[in-house]
Amino acid sequence: MEPRQPSRDPLLSYNPLTLWPPKLSLPSHLTQLHPQHQRILLQQRSQTMSLAKKPWSLKPDTYANLMTRKEKDWVIKVQMVQLQSENPRLDDYYYQEYYQKLEKTQADKELLGHRNRAESLKLVTPHIQKAEGYESVVRIEGSLGQVAVSTCFSPRRAIDAVSHGTQEQDTGAASSQRLRVLSLIEKMFLQLLEIEEGQNDGFPQLYHSEEQRNQVEKLFQALKTQGQDNLEETADSLLQVLSVRKGKILVARLLPFLPHDQAVSLLLYITYHLPLLILRDMADQALHILFKPLGKYIHYLTFHQLLHGLQGLMLLPPGTSERPVSVVLQNQFGISLLYALLSHGEQLVSLDSSLQSSSDCAAWTDLVILVTWEISQLPTASLAEPLAFPRNLLPLFCHHMDKQLMQQLEARMELACIY
Amino acid sequence: MNYMPWTASLIEDIDKKHLVLLRDGRTLIGFLRSIDQFANLVLHQTIERIHVGKKYGNIPRGIFLVRGENVVLLGEIDLEKESDTALQQVSIEEILEQRVEQQTRLEAEKLKVQDLKDRGLSIPRADTHMTRQRLST
Repeated sequence: MEPRQPSRDPLLSYNPLTLWPPKLSLPSHLTQLHPQHQRILLQQRSQTMSLAKKPWSLKPDTYANLMTRKEKDWVIKVQMVQLQSENPRLDDYYYQEYYQKLEKTQADKELLGHRNRAESLKLVTPHIQKAEGYESVVRIEGSLGQVAVSTCFSPRRAIDAVSHGTQEQDTGAASSQRLRVLSLIEKMFLQLLEIEEGQNDGFPQLYHSEEQRNQVEKLFQALKTQGQDNLEETADSLLQVLSVRKGKILVARLLPFLPHDQAVSLLLYITYHLPLLILRDMADQALHILFKPLGKYIHYLTFHQLLHGLQGLMLLPPGTSERPVSVVLQNQFGISLLYALLSHGEQLVSLDSSLQSSSDCAAWTDLVILVTWEISQLPTASLAEPLAFPRNLLPLFCHHMDKQLMQQLEARMELACIY
Repeated sequence: MNYMPWTASLIEDIDKKHLVLLRDGRTLIGFLRSIDQFANLVLHQTIERIHVGKKYGNIPRGIFLVRGENVVLLGEIDLEKESDTALQQVSIEEILEQRVEQQTRLEAEKLKVQDLKDRGLSIPRADTHMTRQRLST
């Protein structure tokens, strides 16, 4: 027969349901138990009472209390925290109802003169604030160093895995199209990575193997001919690719590998659709990565090409009532690209006197006037700071307007540069 | 701290002898030493008890850490009533032999029933066959 080993842990013999000294009668809220259950509980109670009278028969449990009080409290605390609720009548309806009834019957009984009822205990969850602030540097006891701690409550949002605050309503068709564009970008990016790996020592222009040229051509075709070939088409896939941050990165990294004419066509395309691209870049703010790679090809543009590209600025982009030049000037990439293009145009005009009398020149003059007027209209704070400020711009603008406007403009542009 | 009244918590079971039934069918008996919020259990001086018919055998296992999700049920063992059983304890070797025999018997039975079913005959079993009951008048 095995020796009795009831634990001598006072915690366990302490029954929170009674007051001290313990009576063998059950507290009121236990009287609602099933009679057999009641009998068993009473038996147990009397047993522990009788056992307590014979301390010498208890063999000490040497492994008792391996779990310390602190640890028990901690487990209870964790369990309690999970029970916390803002609206207990919703989350824990049955217990709340039961307890109310209990209290009511007790109150009634008290009115009838039956005092001495033990206060029935209610399950009270300690109010533990769940979202506690954390210390960013933690010292673990017994260690020599410190551990940096950081926490993030919505990690998917932090890594941009989930888009939030999208301006467009994602209907079924729109979201599936977006997915198509994203998967297209992924495929093209893989091709780009292959091309980049194939190059030697970061000199893409010099050591072009046959294979690499083929790959680049393939990729360019994939990029360009998803949609139409002409510049005016706005609904095509290239625009959508450029509306995605990764698409912009893709194009920026591809540009160094492209032959000049293809790079120039991309430059023109981006220039033509500049206002729309800026509007679509509001969330990502990633257009600036295109500036340097594109900038290298600006001087390849002919005057006519430049003009044609800049005429996109005349068109009102869909979905906004803001003037396109205004949109461009308020965006850093936009204003930088615009300045660079205008500078190039001015250079071409000043170098080639035949252009000054061509029909294109009138259009050019109109364009420059439009830009200067817009600059003077915008409050200085709205003007974005350009990434590069070409020297021949101010004289260009001065050439095309009156003195007063010129002074205003001068002041504005200098201030904008300081910003 | 007042432990939670009216809720089931394993805290009161600490340091008591328990019988634990696991999802894989094993029966463990040991002293519950520690728990956590997932009801993972630390069992001390654990034995695994194997039952075959009216016999059982205990295999001493030492300390167990049982992952909470694998527990079907557990209950406290009344130390006084523990030995009060009609079952007969045998040695480990014997119980393991008995278990192997039981498995083979069951498998043979299964095959037999399957064969009969294939032939269109079904032998009524005691637990499925309806028995007539004497009604008291």
